[in-house]
Amino acid sequence: MIKIPPYLQKGDTIGLVCPAGLMPVEKVSECIRVLNEDWGLTTKVGTTIGQQYHYFSGTDEERLEDFQHMLDDENVKAILCARGGYGLSRIIDKIDFTNFKKNPKWIIGFSDVTILHSHIYRNYSISTLHAPMANAFNEDGFKNEFVQSLRHALEGKKNKYHCKPHEFNKKGEGIGELVGGNLSLLAHLVGTDSDLKVKGRILFIEDVGEYLYNIDRMMYQLKRSGKLDKLAGLIVGGFTDMKDTERPFGQTVHEIIRDAVAEYAYPVCFDFPVSHEKENYALKIGVGYKLKVGKNKVTLEE
Amino acid sequence: MLTASYLPALPELSTGEVGTLFISPAFLKTGDIIGITAPAGYITSAEIQSAVQKMESWGYKLKIGETIDKRDFTFGGTDEERAKDFQQMLDDPKVKAIMCARGGYGVVRIIDKLNWDKFKAKSKWIIGFSDVTVIHSHLNKNFGIASIHSKMCNSFPDDWSLAEPIQIETIESIQLALSGEKMKYSATPNPQNKPGTADGVLIGGNLKMLETLAGTRSDINTAGKILFVEDTGEYMYSIDRMFWNLKRTGKLSRLKGLIIGGFKIKVDEDSDDFGRTLQDVVLEKIKAWHYPVCFDFPVGHQKNNYALKCGVKHRLSISPENVTLKEI
Repeated sequence: MIKIPPYLQKGDTIGLVCPAGLMPVEKVSECIRVLNEDWGLTTKVGTTIGQQYHYFSGTDEERLEDFQHMLDDENVKAILCARGGYGLSRIIDKIDFTNFKKNPKWIIGFSDVTILHSHIYRNYSISTLHAPMANAFNEDGFKNEFVQSLRHALEGKKNKYHCKPHEFNKKGEGIGELVGGNLSLLAHLVGTDSDLKVKGRILFIEDVGEYLYNIDRMMYQLKRSGKLDKLAGLIVGGFTDMKDTERPFGQTVHEIIRDAVAEYAYPVCFDFPVSHEKENYALKIGVGYKLKVGKNKVTLEE
Repeated sequence: MLTASYLPALPELSTGEVGTLFISPAFLKTGDIIGITAPAGYITSAEIQSAVQKMESWGYKLKIGETIDKRDFTFGGTDEERAKDFQQMLDDPKVKAIMCARGGYGVVRIIDKLNWDKFKAKSKWIIGFSDVTVIHSHLNKNFGIASIHSKMCNSFPDDWSLAEPIQIETIESIQLALSGEKMKYSATPNPQNKPGTADGVLIGGNLKMLETLAGTRSDINTAGKILFVEDTGEYMYSIDRMFWNLKRTGKLSRLKGLIIGGFKIKVDEDSDDFGRTLQDVVLEKIKAWHYPVCFDFPVGHQKNNYALKCGVKHRLSISPENVTLKEI
């Protein structure tokens, strides 16, 4: 049974960390202001915010220590990863989840943070939040429905999302725990201790900046590793800034994914607002959802 | 009739690993037929001419598959056409070796469509690298049948008079491997090599392919073996992530030895500085183990890419002065 961390109350503390790529302080300041002033939360800013070690927000040890500190601090009720990038693969096996298991708290983020979602769901059955990160708050982004959906999720409101129908959608209804994230990372995790559990679940995937042939190859990996045949449903999010090779691949990303799951009967929807773009609803990993894909309407609700 | 020669069981695989028996297909003799097929990217008959002539000069006959000159966007024909062509090469008893004309992308799309029954009953050499790593790994995992990791038709120069000696030598190494010569290689020592000697079955290929085979029925089995990896056009962060994948899927813990071939590293557009060299990235993953490791081995997407026999027992010897790999 999935464990749901306590929802946040006014005045609760949310910790901000960078477990992967570096993030300048000025890009996090609007997020901190909104969390404090609008959402009524207290923020605890980790040492990795604004810190740099080459590509990363700190050495492995520094990133680990900051994240571990937030996990272990009883006053911190949620941890918002300020950005993704690359770096969680390097520290995931060093994180000590002992206190977190006893006192779960919301862990929030997407992209590279997919590793945390998949790892925690697989090993501890604790729900996490796949949701916008600090940069999404900038340039008035905090007002949009996607950042607001994170606020609602943290406050304990049940999600109900709609999206436009797509010609490749496969109609039907699926009920199951929601799992997923960034396709490249889900593929990268296959066979590891953080590998995704998908049987009987609703899977969502999104990606950015990948070559079409590589998307195809990753879909084949998921398929060949038994990740696609027993789903309750598939949610295809944004696949943005796709690249093609000099010799064109010959299929769009939608066609690639459509073909990869053509033989299965479960419902499939495309262009769901979960992506590296603004369109990125907060989704609770591990929580039961119902996906309804109809002719004119697609809904996903808790 | 040619018979497959069986390598003896490897007693040092005391860790209880499978695949103790590797089958080496029959070596080629003058007049034997090599089939050429395109299981991944497309290629024209003009582009394979140099390879055809060279292999004929080695005394072999060629059978040109239907996928040569076929094109379906990036592929050498549709999945069905590529699978059918490869299948008939597998099933034709006269074909003693199959040379993949080039890599690209596409083998994983057809690998599960292939029927290996005849191949298993009477194995033959399958030749190629890069995307063809899927086949090497699949044979390693499922059948324990040896194969040749080497240059393909698209690496044979059009004008041999302009070819560098290393190009000629590496292409000639394919013929040595096919004819049953015991292979021996040397590499320039890298100061960050970890010295030692190891005996084990050689396996490996393109790192990205090995990562994307994880969890599938073609997933490589590395325990008790000497693993080689190479890659091209990947960012350093991606190479780092792939080595974490090898480590986290348990592929680095029980090796006999590790061979790092060529890595052409892509530079980040926004000149992000990863802060670690390839050597750092590799060595930090394996510091818990004491097997020998060498860098700069002549295998990869480069001119010095020698034919290596996957699934055949080798000895890797690394000292500060010398690096050698030899078939034993």
